[in-house]
Amino acid sequence: MISAAVPRRLKLSRELVLLAILVALVIALSLMSPVFLTISNFLNTSRFFVEIGLVALGMTLIIITGGIDLSVGAGLGLVSVALGFTFKAGLPLPLALFLGVGVGLAGGYFNSLFITKLDLHPLVVTLGTLALYRGLALGLSRADAVSNFPGWFAYFGQFYLGAVPGQLIVFIVAVAIVWVLLARTRYGRYVYAIGNNEQAAHFSGVPVARVKTALYVGTGLLVALAAIIYTSRVSTARADSGTGLELDVISAVVLGGASIYGGSGTIAGTVLGVVIIATLRNGLTLAAVATTYQVLILGLLLIVAVFLNEFFRKTEE
Amino acid sequence: MIIEEHRGEHPGVQDGAYPSASPAARDKSSSDTPGDPVIRVMGLTKRFGGVTAIDGVDFDLLPGEVHALVGENGAGKSTLMKIVHGLYAPDEGQLEVEGRQVTFVSSRDAEAAGVAMIPQELDLFPELSVAENLYVGRHRPRSWWGGLDWTAMRTEARRQFETLGIDIDVTLPARFLSTANRQIVLIARALMGDARAVIMDEPTSSLTEREVQRLFEVIKDLTERGVGVVYVSHRLDEVFTIADRISVLRDGLHIKTAPVSELDSEELVRLMVGRALSELFVRNPHQHGSIALELKGLSRSSEFTDIDLTIHRGEVVGLAGLIGAGRTELAQAVFGIRPVESGEIYIDGERVSFHSPQEAMNRGVVYVPEERQSQGLILPFPIYANITLSILQKIARAGFLNYDRERKTTDRFADALSIRGADVSEPISRLSGGNQQKAMIAKSLACEPSILLLDEPTRGVDVGAKSEIYRLIDQLGQDGKAILLISSELEEVLSMADRVVVMREGRITAEFDRDEATQERVMAAAAGVEEKAGAAEL
Repeated sequence: MISAAVPRRLKLSRELVLLAILVALVIALSLMSPVFLTISNFLNTSRFFVEIGLVALGMTLIIITGGIDLSVGAGLGLVSVALGFTFKAGLPLPLALFLGVGVGLAGGYFNSLFITKLDLHPLVVTLGTLALYRGLALGLSRADAVSNFPGWFAYFGQFYLGAVPGQLIVFIVAVAIVWVLLARTRYGRYVYAIGNNEQAAHFSGVPVARVKTALYVGTGLLVALAAIIYTSRVSTARADSGTGLELDVISAVVLGGASIYGGSGTIAGTVLGVVIIATLRNGLTLAAVATTYQVLILGLLLIVAVFLNEFFRKTEE
Repeated sequence: MIIEEHRGEHPGVQDGAYPSASPAARDKSSSDTPGDPVIRVMGLTKRFGGVTAIDGVDFDLLPGEVHALVGENGAGKSTLMKIVHGLYAPDEGQLEVEGRQVTFVSSRDAEAAGVAMIPQELDLFPELSVAENLYVGRHRPRSWWGGLDWTAMRTEARRQFETLGIDIDVTLPARFLSTANRQIVLIARALMGDARAVIMDEPTSSLTEREVQRLFEVIKDLTERGVGVVYVSHRLDEVFTIADRISVLRDGLHIKTAPVSELDSEELVRLMVGRALSELFVRNPHQHGSIALELKGLSRSSEFTDIDLTIHRGEVVGLAGLIGAGRTELAQAVFGIRPVESGEIYIDGERVSFHSPQEAMNRGVVYVPEERQSQGLILPFPIYANITLSILQKIARAGFLNYDRERKTTDRFADALSIRGADVSEPISRLSGGNQQKAMIAKSLACEPSILLLDEPTRGVDVGAKSEIYRLIDQLGQDGKAILLISSELEEVLSMADRVVVMREGRITAEFDRDEATQERVMAAAAGVEEKAGAAEL
């Protein structure tokens, strides 16, 4: 039963390659650090990749339509500041959380307005809103931080069910929902159709603008969710939260096989991409590699991922 | 050099080799060396996976002749020509250029050996001038300080066009050129590389009749210089006008090569498809019902003005005109793709205005676009996903896809329209052009429309698929559908339409009933009687 546009055989081989990379990575890193290959370390790692992973789910769909959203990191910072500082100003925390979700949705909708109504390229639009959202966050917080949250707020980012971190469960549920959405619903088919040939999709009666709006708004929701988890995990709302998140997210999605030109990509691939990137980050940290070098390695990985994708696409032809 | 060589006194074609060639053909070929073809292929075979695209094909091209290559879509014409032009490597067989055996690794090798191809999709650089386009990929003249010598480039470019007898402003960016002139620029480019053989793949598929005439003059000029021309086309009337010899391919096999005088169109069609020409156009007269679609004073800035048009249930209205007359724009405006600026649209007497294709489809209006690949189909999608794309709202329960239902719907239409060539779960790009066209019509029929706007439904489609599409249009008419048939092929409009409406420069200039419409009348209305010579050019 093929519902995606990508031939099944190819998808499988690409994902097998990703699994092989992951295995190689795990072996290499476990040689570098004795604590790396332990269940507790894996579960611990998962606490860190959930934020990347949630946003990567939305980003996968955006990239399949041929779009991109660079504003996700800035959006995370803005949501974090919005909920933190309205709480500090006296808003009850539950309401502040809803407000944060509202800010995330609004940020996504704002992006989609420029992209669908004015037909501007998502790269330029979200580069602009990246600066805009980060600037707003900095302005609202006046470079200050909020950290005196009530105890129950810690549940969002520090709760464990047995040994399993709570956010991992949230992530698994989100993966299941987006997976079904992309692979089994009309909406998912539209996403692939737009990415492969937007004009033909429009001519065929696909509501292109509505689909895209829903995508960016949905990604805004995932950003807000990630922001809440992140703010809870570090117990601090700060304007620079989520800086550089877009690099990790886009790397994961592209590594997972989504074509940056649109038209192809899967949730399974993205999840593998997220796990690989998080494993790499975690392993490098355990092996005491400085953060600056980690970014350098990630940058290289992104380029290698794009190369691999094109390589697979060519061998398919 | 080429010219002198072939204007020498070579013996004429031996009668045994190419008997009873037409007078024109004999004149031309009499100046050639018969035993020395520009291109000769022997026993060429090419397989793609398990499919044999061409199977042991022989073909040759003499200097100074026009050799037409005809066959249905999927017969192997393109594959053969791509091998000759170095795009594919053959699995078996030999390729000779001017008597020497060659192996092309890329098109560049073919061009260097003097084999040029004018592709169906014209690839010029739109922002570069005509002169610059001629020099793309070749040595450009330099001035004394090492910069480009623009004067020399333009002079040489002008000289090229002069020898072709064509007047083109070589400083003009290519994007301002008409399709016909783009084609001529590509021909000039091929000749600059001293091409000995020029392959033209469907060169007239988007040209108006007048432009076709001009292209033919250029082709004649080429042959007089001893250049051989391979002319790949679906349009048999053109083939008979321009060709000296005709080769027929069918299902990857070489069926026959003969001088044009030995064949007539009925015979040719029979060779191509194994059916007779008289079967191609069937139209069963029937009664028309009430008015289904009515346009009143429809206008949109520079595209079309003050259009009044009615189509009854069961009626096929042919919309004739030259390319750029505003017919596509009008249909797209009715379909909700382009906003209408003034005027009214009525469906079954009720005023409507669509802002998107979904709205139009919900009211039973479908548009089958002219641009199959860019507007009609999602090429990497499986066949079934293309056919169900417009009706997912109906067949997806609560938004969830159901493969069995999609497949069932697809099978129903694939059978009804006899879409052949691949399993419905294979990408639609694997289908031939004719079958892709039928799939596009199937997609629109799945919406259960009452009004169909068909934009050039047989463009780039082989004779067999064409007759099937005609039969289908006729059937849809009998089923009470209202059909607008946009077509640049006069023969098609005249044989299919109950009524012919002619547009020119955005306005309706004439309307004829089926029995009043003649080629001359429609053409006169489409081209404008007092049109100045050359006004439609550039």
